[in-house]
Amino acid sequence: MRTLGWLYMAAIFVFIFLPVVVLVLFSFQDSRLPVPPFDGPTLKWYAQVLADRGMMEALRNSLVVAVVSSAVALLLGFFAAQGLARVRLPGSALMRGLLIAPMTVSYLIIALGLLTVFNNLGFRPSLWATGIGHVVISLPLCFAILFAAMGDHQKNAERAARDLGASDLQVLFLVTAPMLKPALLAAFFLSVTFSWDEFIIAFLLTRFDVTLPVEIWSMLRSGLSPATNAIGSLVFLVSIVILILLELTVFRKSKT
Amino acid sequence: MTANVSLQALSHNFGEFQALDDINLEFAAGEFVVLLGPSGCGKSTLLFILGGFLTPTEGQVWIGGQDMSRVAAKDRPTTTMFQDYALFPHMTLRDNVGFGLRMRGQGKAKRNAKADEMLDLVGLLDKAGRKPHELSGGQRQRVALARALAVEPEVLLLDEPLGALDLKLRRQMQEELKIIQRKVGTTFVHVTHDQEEAMAIADRIAVMNAGKVEHAGSPEEVYLRPKTLFSANFMGDLNILPEAQVGRAAGAGMVYAARPENIGLAGEISLGDARLTEASFFGTYHRCHFQSVEQGGQTYIAHLPIGALPQQGEALPLFASSPMTLKADV
Repeated sequence: MRTLGWLYMAAIFVFIFLPVVVLVLFSFQDSRLPVPPFDGPTLKWYAQVLADRGMMEALRNSLVVAVVSSAVALLLGFFAAQGLARVRLPGSALMRGLLIAPMTVSYLIIALGLLTVFNNLGFRPSLWATGIGHVVISLPLCFAILFAAMGDHQKNAERAARDLGASDLQVLFLVTAPMLKPALLAAFFLSVTFSWDEFIIAFLLTRFDVTLPVEIWSMLRSGLSPATNAIGSLVFLVSIVILILLELTVFRKSKT
Repeated sequence: MTANVSLQALSHNFGEFQALDDINLEFAAGEFVVLLGPSGCGKSTLLFILGGFLTPTEGQVWIGGQDMSRVAAKDRPTTTMFQDYALFPHMTLRDNVGFGLRMRGQGKAKRNAKADEMLDLVGLLDKAGRKPHELSGGQRQRVALARALAVEPEVLLLDEPLGALDLKLRRQMQEELKIIQRKVGTTFVHVTHDQEEAMAIADRIAVMNAGKVEHAGSPEEVYLRPKTLFSANFMGDLNILPEAQVGRAAGAGMVYAARPENIGLAGEISLGDARLTEASFFGTYHRCHFQSVEQGGQTYIAHLPIGALPQQGEALPLFASSPMTLKADV
């Protein structure tokens, strides 16, 4: 029974990670096609990708869009969650529902909707438009994470701070935000990874300056190459780094 | 610092529900006041109004001669020790205790010195650099007390602070609270539903029921000369004495009653023969249940001295002394 369990676990991990391992492995392929047999290793594709100015610019764009859109989504989500958790308003439940609703809508629909709206407003597809699109998908996530983290415990600490003479802003910055730090970090990093990976919205809402997934897609149109594997591996690496950061900053602390 | 408190014609409604009904109370400066009552009697609501977390529907709160009815919590000379302590989990004990002083714009050195002094007062100076989650329940309690006292409030409000502690720790904290209150001289207003706790610590007890103050007075007054049947019952076991046995009418809407320690085998009022149905040993007395032989429905609880315990089922003449005259519940 026990061996069967281990086998099952191993099979799951192979199933999940085999594509990634293959992708990374063939980024070190020496010949022009990322297919077996493996004849590397070489770093020339990495050199090529890192020397590709279009690719590097897309990578920078992606980072900027991810960080800025996540920061905006986090701020908006935090205020919304704080408001709805603390003040009883008519229609609170409805507002909560509306805030989370975009999570259930496919990115394609969101992108088409935004495209239509931006067209009518005369707002050209750009990184800004993509950033707004990413705020739309990250905000519900940030809101949901933060709202769930605001319990009675937090509410009572805020009341105690007010009792000791703290103004609303002081309560927010000295008590609420520090107490929510794990949730804030989790929401931010998750938003960054969502934006970092996102393709459809970025594809429809960018034109000249594009994000990395869009750049990779246009590269793929001209056929397979170990260079695409190399850039894919780099993207994967960034995601891993974010995850490790998250693990080290958020989850380790919340355990103690 | 300390101040007197005056509550004038205070009423509070939550929608249709009237939580407080025309409360008039005066607390002297430096008094240890206990608001005592069953859950839902309005005692916590009253405390929250004192602290500024609720604005009363009607009436006024005066603290130290100033009308505070509509002053926000952060601007009041009151602080609260909350039921769940509400410590800031991300701060050290020293920062927790110094928080109120920080809000008052005191420099770090000064507020740390004061925080250490307060932590010393509650016996936790050696843990000043720890975080709240490293402490036990009783220790968190003390930190909450130190934090509330650090800003030298004129009135300290305590919202059932000992509710979560085990009995032994609770008795110990009661004594400590009393000692600390004497030391700092601040007016304490303490909410509880535990009458023993109230008797142990209060200078004055206000017994509350259904949004009203039934009786306010010293523990002796409230226990020995209660004004209403409710407060008499709440303060301890009570025997209702039939008017026929006392020999005179109690008056309209009034009843005669006696505490178990005033029921015994001798006394001025004869209660007739009664049979012992149940007895338990309490160390300093036997707590006995008697059933009247003539009126089967009439039962008495008596505290008999050690060594005076009759046989189970034995019938013997029972007497009451110094009966109280109480207003019956409406």
